[in-house]
Amino acid sequence: MLQFDRVTLPEETESLRRDVRQFLADNAEHLERPNSDFSTGHDPAFSRKLGSQGWIGMTWPKQYGGSERSFFDRYVVTEELLAAGAPVSAHWIADRQSGNLILGVGTDEQKARYLPPIARGESYFSIGMSEPNSGSDLASVRTRAERVEGGWLINGTKLWSTDAHRNHFMIALVRTEPPSENRHAGFSQIIVDLHEDGVNIRPIRNMAGGEDFNEVVFEDVLVPEDRVVGEPGNGWKQVTSELAYERSGPERFLSGFRVFVELVRAAGPDPEPALAAAIGRIAAHIATLRRMSISVAGMLEGGKSPEVEAALVKGLGNDFEKLLPEIARLAADDSIAAAARFGRFRESLRDTLLLSPSFTIRGGTREILRGVIARGLGLR
Amino acid sequence: MTDTMLTDAAERMFADLCDKALLDAAEDGAFPSTLWNTVAESGFHQLAMPDSGVSLGDAFAVVGIAGRHALPLPLAETLLANRWLAGSDGLATIGQVQDGWIVDAPWGRAADRIVGLDAERGACVVVELGEGVQVREGANLAGEPRDAVALPDGAEWLPLLEPAYAYLALARAVASAGCLARVLELTLQYAGEREQFGRAISRFQAIQHSLAVMAGEVAAAGRAADAAVDALDGDRLELEVAVAKARVGEAAGVVAEIAHQVHGAMGFTHEHQLHHFTRRAWAWRDEFGNETHWQRRLGRHLAAGGADGLWAFIATRG
Repeated sequence: MLQFDRVTLPEETESLRRDVRQFLADNAEHLERPNSDFSTGHDPAFSRKLGSQGWIGMTWPKQYGGSERSFFDRYVVTEELLAAGAPVSAHWIADRQSGNLILGVGTDEQKARYLPPIARGESYFSIGMSEPNSGSDLASVRTRAERVEGGWLINGTKLWSTDAHRNHFMIALVRTEPPSENRHAGFSQIIVDLHEDGVNIRPIRNMAGGEDFNEVVFEDVLVPEDRVVGEPGNGWKQVTSELAYERSGPERFLSGFRVFVELVRAAGPDPEPALAAAIGRIAAHIATLRRMSISVAGMLEGGKSPEVEAALVKGLGNDFEKLLPEIARLAADDSIAAAARFGRFRESLRDTLLLSPSFTIRGGTREILRGVIARGLGLR
Repeated sequence: MTDTMLTDAAERMFADLCDKALLDAAEDGAFPSTLWNTVAESGFHQLAMPDSGVSLGDAFAVVGIAGRHALPLPLAETLLANRWLAGSDGLATIGQVQDGWIVDAPWGRAADRIVGLDAERGACVVVELGEGVQVREGANLAGEPRDAVALPDGAEWLPLLEPAYAYLALARAVASAGCLARVLELTLQYAGEREQFGRAISRFQAIQHSLAVMAGEVAAAGRAADAAVDALDGDRLELEVAVAKARVGEAAGVVAEIAHQVHGAMGFTHEHQLHHFTRRAWAWRDEFGNETHWQRRLGRHLAAGGADGLWAFIATRG
């Protein structure tokens, strides 16, 4: 059965938490966003400030620009940033997964080359997994890289790559061998400089009005030999092992947190009973999801690979991220909603509601996650 | 850290003794004396006494295991009453004082003594049961006895030294979490055995997704209940109980609904054991404050603290 241990954050994390809060208070000019979504606030100046604090790549070796701190320390930093609505998307993917992948399976040269600038908050990565005909069925990706003289020649199209139009690199999942009976064989992950010739990036406007994700077309893009991360042909296994990191963090249940903050602000110190109940309901969900998420962080810190637990936290968290604006919306009745002090609340609610369809799609759809959980329950 | 020797012993004892026949008989009003004698001989009714050598958290862990097996005894009430009353070590129960009665007392008809709580006054009365004490029998929707006992004239009021109502709400949350975990196990087992269209229904994606949702709710309920138990010694117990009671209550509705849907008509029969668990999950949501009660309690606290204190409440270490 699935296990979520009682994990307590180490006492040392408290002083770090105070430091992060002080840092946020000192940098309030970066905190103008109405939501806590991790993928919509691209602010390189803020990322560089975080980097100079040592809060990007914090679990990595000092040799590569990290601070050799625990997953719990990283957890505290990330949740404080999200709760405050900080603009984290520039460095987010590099910090959360690209850097960890390079650290885990990359060459010493790759580590020395890519990790220090990530940790300084200067180098940003995008994910290159989905394609026009490959969403949940990731093993059907068709972008291919052929071995040619001087490196690899890449052709194909990646889709929904967040911030590819303003980031530096993409780690693309590509076929380096033709499809065979084992449909998970023959994939590799390759670091592509997004400024190479032949890389055509087209931002895609989303329904919330943002232009954060992109279509990225590779036309005979030549990348040097040494850009393959890990073993050629081992890409599938590498991609799936990224997922425990990708799926269980606080960004999977805090996207709507600013709505909650503004609801409480607007409610005032003595709300009527239905509004008080809505506030309590949201708090009970978030407090519980956070503890489950920290349980998974504890398993990661202990060297385990809690893929199923991570999928469960993401699934439960994403569903709640969508429920939160609904609870808040209905709790704010007409008389309260009309009051001027609800202006900030309305802005936050509108923004989060418009982003909310993405919550249960990105990083593994609700349906895929339920399949992972079902497998963990021994049903398939 | 939970005392696993204790919880393993409780698990074995309750698993051995609590079967469908016993649960049916208890629902018909027959006090399960053999079960009670075994529990009492093992000292399980004294675990929460101040000098028991067992932490209060571990006593609550045993209440969770009792919930897992739908133990038809007022275990939480006995544990707490024997904790609060010096010299009490028999079958004790707890109810709430209302209009000259102590109401909603589990197994009031069989208890040696009953504690009547008036949480608002911060006080309680103790009544020794015996000849001449008037008892009105009743039951909750799970068929668990919930009896009323007439408050004798001139009953002596004692101050409550602990947050009695929060402890009892916590007991229901913990027992529910155990009960819901059992409901998931029963449902997984049934889905693996029941065949339709030539295969086990657990092979169907629609069923798998329902079971995945259920597993999420069960996990959330368990984690929320554990966190409130861990808060027993801290200064925010009542608020953590609010989190737990509210979250577990929400989970109970979802889990019971899916469990019955997956069990089909078979789970709707009296013959099947599922209802002993799902009805308890439903009943316990409403005892000692339903979701709304605790959501309001928590919401009022957070609103009073203001928007800028909200995150500080959420971001605790434990």
